[in-house]
Amino acid sequence: MQYGSFTWYDLVLLGQGLSVSVLVFLATSAIGLVLGIAWATVRFYRIPVLMQLVTLVAETLKNSPVLVQLFLVFFGLPVLAQINVTPVQAAVITLSGNTAAFIYVIAVSAIESVGRDQIEAARVFGLSRWQTLRRVVSPQATAFAIGPLIGLAVNQLQVTSLVSVIGVVDLTKIGNILNLRTLEPFIVWTAVGVLYYLCAKLIARLGGKLEARLRVHSDWKGL
Amino acid sequence: MIKIEGVRKVFNGVTVLDHIDLKVEKGEVVSILGSSGSGKSTLLRCINGLEKLDGGSISVDGFDVARPKELAEARKRSATVFQLFNLYPHMTAVQNLMLAPVEVLKVPKAKAEADARALLASVGLSERADAYPAQLSGGQRQRVGIARALAVNPSYLLLDEVTSALDPEMTAEVLRILARLADEGTTMVFVTHEVEFARTISSRVVFLEKGRLLVDLPTTEFFADDGGLANPRVRQFLSNMSKG
Repeated sequence: MQYGSFTWYDLVLLGQGLSVSVLVFLATSAIGLVLGIAWATVRFYRIPVLMQLVTLVAETLKNSPVLVQLFLVFFGLPVLAQINVTPVQAAVITLSGNTAAFIYVIAVSAIESVGRDQIEAARVFGLSRWQTLRRVVSPQATAFAIGPLIGLAVNQLQVTSLVSVIGVVDLTKIGNILNLRTLEPFIVWTAVGVLYYLCAKLIARLGGKLEARLRVHSDWKGL
Repeated sequence: MIKIEGVRKVFNGVTVLDHIDLKVEKGEVVSILGSSGSGKSTLLRCINGLEKLDGGSISVDGFDVARPKELAEARKRSATVFQLFNLYPHMTAVQNLMLAPVEVLKVPKAKAEADARALLASVGLSERADAYPAQLSGGQRQRVGIARALAVNPSYLLLDEVTSALDPEMTAEVLRILARLADEGTTMVFVTHEVEFARTISSRVVFLEKGRLLVDLPTTEFFADDGGLANPRVRQFLSNMSKG
């Protein structure tokens, strides 16, 4: 036991790291969901200028590596705007923006999947644009979007592992620390991997249940 | 009264409606006949404000559909039944009927639901009130479509080829309901290919051809040899229809 081998106490450390990962995931998913839906609403209303701005931001975030964005926020913001950000703040800002960009894309295509005939059927009965969006378009768009959104959520959970690079003590960072201490990479990284896997499975399972509920009206029960 | 004056509509340089004048009084059943592409459906879509006019004006009970504020009022007075039903797929039949009364007319939910169930019963669907559109047959869907239109208690019912997507048996079940509505004095603008049915229920028949209104006559005169049939295009259209 030169450095100290893997002990049961290390499971507590892994649990702590996991809770940080899950919290980062939940917080950035919630913020990203609100932002992404707000951006899609801007697009639905075709608000000039704002709409082009949203598209530009979403395209930029979607088409550049998250790690680069993370470095820009963590190292760039203090230099550029004299704002000091903690690793957790940088992680939340970056991942929220990144998630929002993908949710925006999913939401827009889901809204476009709702037929024009549906909007017309609501409008001729005198529903306002907002009532049409809320009562007719968004429930149907949500049913279209839920599958891709679950896929995105599973992916974003894994993406949180990147925040370990700037010093957030998440599951991957804990894995790193334990690996250096125990020199038992196979045990440590297997444990880390299994924990990510179980969380991802849990998300997919809950998502599947939600999807079934959102699609009760449809004959389409999937392949 | 629905008042259509000098209405013009152009799609990509093609004139789809060319100076249409038409009035529909309360209590009338006006059928609009014409071959595909004659502009019948477009005319209906102009009345309910789904298409912008390129000329002329349309008013419903005095409310100009070209002005956004007045369009809302005009839309409260009319209701549309669509060719492909356009039911809200995520809502049950009864919810489909309740949406506009609750959201637009601010009818209390409990009353809207009771009214909706009564209306569904009147079109023979009391058993299917809680089914989703995907669980209904085409004829049943269109009956929900008609009931949904009636749920807003419209002064004018606009029907856009409501039986074109249905087989003969389902067509018959929908037409039976329309005949009853006509008997009850519901004002209808009825765009259709069902010539024989138009003949039995309408008080007036209008014939459109390439965006122009060729004939506008009371039903008996329209089908008389010295009336509508004196127009060679109408005669040709009717004989083609009866062959089909």
